[in-house]
Formats: sequence, structure tokens, C-alpha cells
Amino acid sequence: MNEKNESILFFAVRLGEVMLRSGAETYRVEDTVVRILSHHHQFIHADTFVTPTVIMATVTDELNHASSTLRRIKNRSTRLDKIESLNQLSRDYIADAITFEEARDRVESIDATPAYSKRKLVLATAFSSGFFSLMFQGDMLAFIISFIIGVVVAHIQSWLRAREIVNLFALFVASLFIGSSVAILLLIDPILFNTDAIVVGCIMTLVPGVAFTNAIRDTIGDELLSGISRGVEALFIALAIASGVGIPMAAGIYLGGFIK
Amino acid sequence: MMYLLINMVSSFFATLCFSIIFNVKQKHLLLCGIVGSLGWTIYTIGEMQAASPVLSTFLASFAVAELSYFLAKAHRAPVTVFLISGIIPLVPGIGIYRTMYALLFSQYAEAQESGLIAFQMSAVIAGAIILAALLPLLFRKRRQKI
Repeated sequence: MNEKNESILFFAVRLGEVMLRSGAETYRVEDTVVRILSHHHQFIHADTFVTPTVIMATVTDELNHASSTLRRIKNRSTRLDKIESLNQLSRDYIADAITFEEARDRVESIDATPAYSKRKLVLATAFSSGFFSLMFQGDMLAFIISFIIGVVVAHIQSWLRAREIVNLFALFVASLFIGSSVAILLLIDPILFNTDAIVVGCIMTLVPGVAFTNAIRDTIGDELLSGISRGVEALFIALAIASGVGIPMAAGIYLGGFIK
Repeated sequence: MMYLLINMVSSFFATLCFSIIFNVKQKHLLLCGIVGSLGWTIYTIGEMQAASPVLSTFLASFAVAELSYFLAKAHRAPVTVFLISGIIPLVPGIGIYRTMYALLFSQYAEAQESGLIAFQMSAVIAGAIILAALLPLLFRKRRQKI
């Protein structure tokens, strides 16, 4: 296998890796990698196998020399902007609008695009907690309390993410905080605060929407293995949130015995 | 009427802020908000007409999914950009919470009921997305053999 072929393989897998780490559906990653590889006609076979945490690809040239590579994906996050840019990049590449070297540089520059600043992220989490609580029949007081809890939840999550804590555990800690603040509110006054709206508004920013949607999209795309694993991921996130909110509230019941 | 308006506006802003958490590109933020607001408005109207939450969720997520596929085509963006943002308000967070709350007080019948409804709602969202993805496939031209 000559050097040119290997660099094409590494480029394709690198692109797939960034996509998968940004939270793309498995079938989209497989499709993109295979398209890029089969765009080069010197390969007689181009195969790839992608799961939510691993990406593998093998190419075979006309002399039956095979070359393969494997990447383990860690630290997944949701970066829909990167997925969109990479999608556009692969389209341009297949249409021969850009050269191989340009494409390789663009993958790196896309991977380096900064996310929204931490301040924007905190504000977005806080406002969406507040508005979600309004959606579930919350009043102005519920909006304000959810907003404040949202600010803290965003800080907890970014603090834990910066220390590369597993996502599931970060969600559990965040919902522990939500549960304990609500338990305290209930101990102060069980009637005054619309705690249902506050809890639901705050946990809506944690619910496994991405895992759930991707599970369905992967199952439609005939990626049964990824569909199942993402579905289980969504289920475990839901369990982590429910137990995280439930434990402090149960403790509150035994301490103060609030009745609602 | 006021109730519907509050729900429309707050779901718009909730979805818009949520798309920022998922790092949607700035040019799509407004559209994501509109998609989310459309889904939640349909759900609220269903709720006001005393339709079952499962049916309302189905109709709402079908509309969201169909609009997302359309917007993805029109803006040449991955469909997940709009789909994830639009589905988020419909995910049964309240069902999970109610189930947990009933379990806290050992009310197993209620926990079972709200848990089942939450499960049904998730299943129905999945069905709606599948249906929305299937429709354009049925109407596309048969692939020409070369």
C-alpha cells in the first residue's frame, strides 16, 4: 500500500472521527467515509464499521494489498455546527470542488472551531430551564427559580466536563443538585412553589434528546447495533436523571415529611 | 387563548436557547426555535381539545419531523440540526418525573400508569420520525438502472 493511499484512508477516518465525536448518527459517518474512499478509484474495496464509540475502515487496492485503521472515540459531545460543516466538506470533496490537501486542512480547522462561549452556554441553559418551566404551567416565580438552578447546573456540567468526567455521571450530579434544591424549597413551603414545573423545566435541559433521536435515526438507517446502544444510552440517562432527582427528594421526605 | 400564546412563545425561546447548548450554527437558531414552537403548539392545542397526550405527541412530532426534513433539504444542512431541537420539547421529561415522584410515595399504580404513558410517548415519537422519513422515499422516482 503506497503512501498516498494510506493518507487518503487516514483523512477519511479522521473526518469520520470528528463527526462521530460531535454526535453524528452512525450511518451518516459510515456513509461519508465510504463515499470519500470510493471517490478514489484505485481502491477495489472500501469498507467501514462504525459504532458510537469505535470507527474502523479498511481499503484494498488492485494488488490486493489491504490497509486498515481503527479509532476509539472518547469524550463525545454535541456539536451540530461541526457536523454541518463536515457534511458540506465531504460534499465539496466528492464534487471535486477542493483538493485533497485543502480538504485535509479544512477538517482540522473545523475540528478547532470554538463552541459558543461559556457565558452564552450558561445563559442558554438558564433561559431554557426557565422557559421550559413556563411551558409546564409554571408561574413567574418558577421561571426565576428555574433560571437560577439552570445557571448552577450549567456551571456544574462545564466544571465536570473540563475534568473529563463521564457524561452519565455529570448528568447524575446535575440532577442531584436539582433534586436537593427542590427538596429544600419543599421543606421551606410545600404550597408556595410550583415544584413540578421547576423540576421538569430544569431536567428538560438534561433529557437524552440527542441519544434518543440518533437511536431512531440509526435504526432507520439499518444500523441495528448502534441503534440499540444509543437507545440503551438514552434509557440510562433517563434513569440517572430520575434517580438523581429522586434521592434528595426521598431524603427530604424522611427529614421533614413534606406532603403535597 | 392566553394560555396558548404563553406556550407558543415560551417553547420558541426554550428551543432556541436549547439549540445554543447543542452548538447549532447561528444562522439556523431562529428556525430551530420555530420548529420547536410548532411542535409544542400542536401538542398544546391537542391538550386543549382533550385529546390523549399520546395522540397529541404523535401529531406534533410528525409535523416537527416533516418540517425538519423539508428545512434540511432547503438549507442543505443535516436533518438532525432541526430534528433534535424540535423533538426536545416533546420528550416526556414530565412523564419520567411523575413516575419517579409516584415511586417516592410507593404509589405503584400511578407510577406504572405515568411510566407507561412516558414509554408510549417515546415510542410514538419514534414512529412519527420513521413515518416522516419514509414518506419521501415512497414518492421518489424509481432508480434508473444504467
